[in-house]
Amino acid sequence: MFDNLLQTAIVVNLLAATVRIATPLLFGALGEVITERAGVMNLGLEGSMLMAAFVGFLVAERTGSVLLAVLMASLAAALVNLLLGVLAISLDADQTVTGLAINLLSSGLTLFWFRAAYTQYNTAGTPLIEVMGDLEIPFLSTLPVVGEVLFSHKILTYLAFLLVPLVSFLMYRTHIGLQIRSLGEDPRAADMAGIPVHRLRYLAVLAGGLIVGLGGAFVSVGSVERFFPDMTAGRGWLAFVIVIAGNWKPTRILVVTLVFSLLGAIQLQAQGIGVQVPYQVLLGLPYLVAILAMIIGRARSVAPECLGVPYTRE
Amino acid sequence: MSQRWRLKLEKRDRVSRGLQSFALLIASGVAVMITAALIAATGTNVAAGFGALWSGAFGSWRTLLASLTKSTPLILTGLATVVAFRARVWNIGQEGQLYAGAILSYWAYRAFQGQPPAVLIIIVIAAALLGGAACGLIAGAVKVAFGVDEIITTIMLNYLIGYLLSWLLSNPWRDPNSYYQHSPAVSDAAQLPILVEGSRLHLGFLVAIVAALALYVLVKMTPLGFEIRAFGLNSTASQFQGTDVRSLTLLVMLISGAVAGLAGGSELFGIHHRLKADISLGYGYTGIIIAMVASLNPVAVLPAAILFGGLINGSLKLQTVNQVPAALVYVIQAVVLLSLLTARAITSYRIRRVQSV
Repeated sequence: MFDNLLQTAIVVNLLAATVRIATPLLFGALGEVITERAGVMNLGLEGSMLMAAFVGFLVAERTGSVLLAVLMASLAAALVNLLLGVLAISLDADQTVTGLAINLLSSGLTLFWFRAAYTQYNTAGTPLIEVMGDLEIPFLSTLPVVGEVLFSHKILTYLAFLLVPLVSFLMYRTHIGLQIRSLGEDPRAADMAGIPVHRLRYLAVLAGGLIVGLGGAFVSVGSVERFFPDMTAGRGWLAFVIVIAGNWKPTRILVVTLVFSLLGAIQLQAQGIGVQVPYQVLLGLPYLVAILAMIIGRARSVAPECLGVPYTRE
Repeated sequence: MSQRWRLKLEKRDRVSRGLQSFALLIASGVAVMITAALIAATGTNVAAGFGALWSGAFGSWRTLLASLTKSTPLILTGLATVVAFRARVWNIGQEGQLYAGAILSYWAYRAFQGQPPAVLIIIVIAAALLGGAACGLIAGAVKVAFGVDEIITTIMLNYLIGYLLSWLLSNPWRDPNSYYQHSPAVSDAAQLPILVEGSRLHLGFLVAIVAALALYVLVKMTPLGFEIRAFGLNSTASQFQGTDVRSLTLLVMLISGAVAGLAGGSELFGIHHRLKADISLGYGYTGIIIAMVASLNPVAVLPAAILFGGLINGSLKLQTVNQVPAALVYVIQAVVLLSLLTARAITSYRIRRVQSV
């Protein structure tokens, strides 16, 4: 009897952690998919997310307002994306190197700013922020098992999952979604059809940035009281992989995200489950699976035809 | 009849050397201005800040030698990038390959530590090359066999190698007599000889220069180098000419990885004398920036790397003297790259007056 209870508790914890870990990955992947569908490859995803995480921390620490922190984080990522957009859309710069540059800029700037803003503190004593509280859904959160797994999370988590059908609807059921997708497939034809290619690409890059920024906010304000240098720790890169393995489709992206999140949750709960391997193996597992996912997913995925190709009128 | 004219922006067919240098100049100017703004933002006098930056980088014979020492791994990671990017193979896993080189060379040290110094040093250097090459080859093989983008694989490998190193240092190779997670120090016999008395400039610097010259010859003067350049310029055309894309990709990743691995071995046996988790402070990524600044020319990597090595030391001085965070150097690096990309993009256009119809 006691054993059963314990096992149920472990499973509940595992699944609840999966949902929690999925949050920033979903924001990242959904933001990226909008950008990529428009034909712009944002390899600077990790950087956008990191900048958002830092700005979120900074605003929360200075103002004490979690809401303001999340908004500013979202805007910060949009701003980083805008920089990428100027280079990739207007200046036809190589999107691989540009994305990389964006990552390096965010990594450096957040570290510099963090150290400059908190020079008076030693590493251990940096100020703490108030973490976003849980929003327990009335009634639903009291249900056994599902209540704890699905309905006792931060508001950002609900939003991330809600965005899956929303982005899907936007992309496949609206006129603007169709226009955005046409930019990734054949910008020349889109241009001839009177679609403002550059303007709409900017819109997609900005909208994607706003969403990615929410993921960054979740990593800092949504999860811990401190900021750590490079605290997004590869989540942006995983989200980038998820988009490819998810075949640029929101619903498949959700499935792939949950697989990665489950791996992350197993790592967190390893002791409880009784997994006896070095923790580094579990920490590295998602990155190994990412390579495998690319190997398997690549064959079945079809990238937007003109992804990463700048468009100039003849 | 009135003629109507308008201005038209159009892409240049080719960008001249002079214009490329102009782009670099503009980019440097922008980077200097942003650096000034960041120094000012911390409440430090800008002139004093630049003074500290300069004196920490190249202000004296001693600091010059220190900057050359610092540039050693950067030359190698820069070269690793040049080889790959020339062929438009996007190896951005230099950081992981550097650590793979360090790990394998430390393993070789443990296996062969009884050997005489000269033999031992050759063995560890060969192992460093091998470790990096193997790591690069994995990404190359995954690309060739499954068509997976090397960008993703190399980045994922960076994380994986990082965790492998963390495990090695937490358990099997950990120095039992230390609070810190690093390996025991290597014996004197395995330490790379110092080139200049009283400095830390070691054999690795010479090796890096030789590597630069060797890669210059490889890229510019050999049939393989021609194939690499041709493939980078126009992959479709070189396939028609019979270039075996798969073996070329593998070979490029192998060479690129090997050179990055060398950086790891050189830092381990030249500077730290033990395996640690912070052998590289992002040198792999800095190498990418250096390669771009050097316009993917192996010899131009040398001055670029020395400049960036100086910047690292200069920013450390700036931190000690003026309390400006040394992380400034990472921002400068990224700003240089971004403004260079912008300047190059802008100079690739020209404005022409055309007749309207």
